[in-house]
Amino acid sequence: MQKPYRFVLARVATYAEEGSAYLRRRRIRGLPFVRVWTRGGAPSAIDLDGEPGSRVFAAAAALIAIAESDA
Amino acid sequence: MTQAATTAIHDARATFTVTMFQQMADGQVATPTDGAAAALEALVETSADLRAAALLGPGGKVLAASSEGDWESGARELWKAAEEADPDPQQVHVATDDGEVFAVRSPGGNSAVGVAQRFALASLMFCDLRAALRELEPADVPAVSRNGA
Repeated sequence: MQKPYRFVLARVATYAEEGSAYLRRRRIRGLPFVRVWTRGGAPSAIDLDGEPGSRVFAAAAALIAIAESDA
Repeated sequence: MTQAATTAIHDARATFTVTMFQQMADGQVATPTDGAAAALEALVETSADLRAAALLGPGGKVLAASSEGDWESGARELWKAAEEADPDPQQVHVATDDGEVFAVRSPGGNSAVGVAQRFALASLMFCDLRAALRELEPADVPAVSRNGA
């Protein structure tokens, strides 16, 4: 039978791993991005550092500002 | 067996007929803007993550918007910039720190733009926006019979 303190250690370690994985996923998901879908339905990620990506990003920020101005 | 009094039925019919006439438009033709307002209202009610949205016509003119503001130039800039990135964009999804922007364009030229909170479910947002566009263009939806033929 597993010793009690080992059970507690394993449980705490599992929760800690789950928590760190959640934060890691959230950090990745939290990165800004621009995606564009073509007529065929294929998505493509647009580089934010490029000219088109930064322009799309600026236009989206303006739309968010419009939405927030009325909130 | 007792027979129901016909006077009660006639009363009911008269009541319902008056109600039906009250709900009918007085010969007014529904404009596209009316349809857009109804579609936008349904969109705002349906989509939980949506903060604000606008429906735009083929020329980029705002048909209905949930909030005041220059949606027309904002949407035009978004599509113009997206066309630089891709020659024929149909959907755009932009995530920023302050929120997310979803834009959908239909073959008829109408477009829907929505602003949602961060980490909104993209598939649901696009589904809701496309449903709003379908309400704008009911004639474009192919008729499907009950047996699927």
